[in-house]
Amino acid sequence: MNARRLENRVAIVTGAGQGVGEGIARRLAQEGATVVVAARRAETGEPVVESIRSAGGQAVCIVTDVSVSESVDACVAKTVQQFGRLDMMVHNAFMGGIPHKLEKAQIDKHWTPMSRTGVWASLFCARAAMPHLIASSARPKGEGGGRLILITSPSGVEGSANIPLYSPAKAAQRAIAKSLAREWGEFGITVNCIGPVAGSPALLTAFDRNPALQQAIEARTPLGRVGDITDDIGSVALFLASDDSSFVTGQTIICDGGSFLGL
Amino acid sequence: MSVKVSGGGRLAQVMRDGVHSDTRSAVIVVDLDGNNSISSLAELTDAQIDEMYEQPMQQVIAAIQEAHSTNCERIVVVVPTTGMSGGAYYAPQAALAESARILVKSAARQWGASGITVNAVAVEPHWFSIDTSISGAVAIAPRSLANEVSPVGVVTWLCSEAAGDITGQTIVCDGGLWM
Repeated sequence: MNARRLENRVAIVTGAGQGVGEGIARRLAQEGATVVVAARRAETGEPVVESIRSAGGQAVCIVTDVSVSESVDACVAKTVQQFGRLDMMVHNAFMGGIPHKLEKAQIDKHWTPMSRTGVWASLFCARAAMPHLIASSARPKGEGGGRLILITSPSGVEGSANIPLYSPAKAAQRAIAKSLAREWGEFGITVNCIGPVAGSPALLTAFDRNPALQQAIEARTPLGRVGDITDDIGSVALFLASDDSSFVTGQTIICDGGSFLGL
Repeated sequence: MSVKVSGGGRLAQVMRDGVHSDTRSAVIVVDLDGNNSISSLAELTDAQIDEMYEQPMQQVIAAIQEAHSTNCERIVVVVPTTGMSGGAYYAPQAALAESARILVKSAARQWGASGITVNAVAVEPHWFSIDTSISGAVAIAPRSLANEVSPVGVVTWLCSEAAGDITGQTIVCDGGLWM
């Protein structure tokens, strides 16, 4: 067991003010990473930072709107200015997911928020982080290693009946990861995706409103539960961020207790 | 029955010339231009993301909605395999191809109860002018067929009455390059 596997490394986690992003931020910080909690609102980001610090970790909040390239660029610039490096970019932030009928879907209402925060923002994050990830990978073995991790969804593989336009946005992230894995291999940067099903605030709220939904999801899941944002999902991100995964690139790890087995 | 083909380029014309059907069908060829490879992600502009991903994806959404509104029973979306394989220096185009391919699955799930089938055909990248010497190899073995592979036959079958139990699928029609 390697203790503090990310000591001296710096990570940006977008959408870390809650849910899966928060869990990933916590887990990376537990292993010694300095974590930038990139949240759209300080009201959500700052409490996560305080919590990480209270547990002995290092974190700051940088308010970031991932749908705006200048905002992403500024987040990366501030991070490097403050900490001198960037080793890991984890893009988790996402907005949208309103159930809709495909035949009546409206671009502005149902597609654009997901396209901007899922697809465009993945490219923004990759583009802004790229020179710093190259620099990280150029460090001596064990002292760095550029990582880009995109948070996708099982729906990005199997489609969705309830939110049909959610799936294409998530699918695009997998294609971007594969493309950049090819493109950045020469630099030693790895690019991977995680497809989680986890107890995010949104899902837990849905369970409160509809206990039958929780029972249905747990019943179809071999491990019989939804994932914990830190211990289950964050730990997969930790693996992909760490040196343990240095020969893994272009992949999607579905982390959902075995609910989706079609990859 | 008529087959409505949407999309531009050589492949769309091949579809217009060659695909026929005994059902009301729509064939959507994704408007992806591989001549627009980028030299590096660092050079990718926001305008290029809009041109290479956003606008053609919105066209796919509009085309699939139109196919539904005109009571098509068979909908086939044609993409390059680059969405599944990834392509170096083609990230926006790969994203477009995969978005379109997975949209097919969502549509199949929503519209299956209405008897509408929605499928994808993934073809060799060259049909979309994607240069695999740039994007990276899509196979580690030579393909098994010697001649140029035409997707017309596969698309015609998916548009037919006979394919009525097939939906949400991707048929890779490239002679065995991408497995």
